[in-house]
Amino acid sequence: MSGGEVRLFMPQVTIAQNILAPNETIATEIQNTLATLQIRTLNIMSSPGAGKTTLLERSIQRLRGKLNLGVIEGDIETSADAERIEATGAQTVQINTRGACHLEAHMVLDALNKLDLTRLDLMIIENIGNLVCPAAWKLGEDLRVVVMSVAEGDDKPAKYPQMFATSEVLVLNKLDLLPYVDYDLDKVKRQVLAINPHLHIFELSCRTGAGLDAWCEWLLEFARGK
Amino acid sequence: MHELAIAQSIVEVVEQRASACQAAHVKNVRLQIGEASGVQADSLSFSFEMLAGLSPRLEGAHLLIESVPHRAYCRHCAREFAVQQFIPCCPLCEEWSSEVLSGTELHILDMEVEE
Repeated sequence: MSGGEVRLFMPQVTIAQNILAPNETIATEIQNTLATLQIRTLNIMSSPGAGKTTLLERSIQRLRGKLNLGVIEGDIETSADAERIEATGAQTVQINTRGACHLEAHMVLDALNKLDLTRLDLMIIENIGNLVCPAAWKLGEDLRVVVMSVAEGDDKPAKYPQMFATSEVLVLNKLDLLPYVDYDLDKVKRQVLAINPHLHIFELSCRTGAGLDAWCEWLLEFARGK
Repeated sequence: MHELAIAQSIVEVVEQRASACQAAHVKNVRLQIGEASGVQADSLSFSFEMLAGLSPRLEGAHLLIESVPHRAYCRHCAREFAVQQFIPCCPLCEEWSSEVLSGTELHILDMEVEE
């Protein structure tokens, strides 16, 4: 019997499904739950050290009394970032992925069960520091925010285009370091807008506070559903 | 290395389907992976075969991966073009096109099973 004949007797079973369908089913469930409660959700991503946690700390401090924020902190190990966010008074849950390089929807669903959702206007999910893997996993967010610091070098959009193609907002952080690093801000903006012309860009420095007002105002409007 | 997690998701979907149709063993799983999906086919096959080895129903199963080119449509020139480096800019008129036609696929098409 030839190989070809063997294959004739091997039944073909159609699947016709997205590979990440199991994740996306849970992500849709999260999105529906949060939408029912009128909680808007952001998924914040960046490479390690771009300033996601500091951006959250500064934002929460500035929005105190105006917004009730919940934060889901994703880290491979440690609860150091969750402790920093908790100190600002925001409801916080830490997820430790124990080695996994991105958050998945089932982890977020578990974390949501630990928060008092009746008291929240805005949920922020801080993803694992990584510009590659988190882009593929939907977590039930309304929008994706990518944070990039000028100290990382201006080649990031060219090297990690998928992250910029699938995000709606870009926060350029550590602008105060611009005089000390070889970073062509115009080139970066040109590149990211070529990949994604609808990208909303904020330029700021969490250290000096420059640009934070515009960002916080946007957060406030986003949380209020504008 | 998110290929391992993607392979895990394939195993999950395939196991479920194989169990539903009472297939004793899965031989091959056919996928469509877009050029712009950010997934490395070699790493995905390696991860899948490693995970398949842990399952009696999937042991020895292989992935047959069809790569899908990243293409977009330019309304202005009324033509399709190949997207270079994720930038869907028409090479003729240099207009940016948001009409991406293919290249982001992460699809499981079907599988070959033994009863």
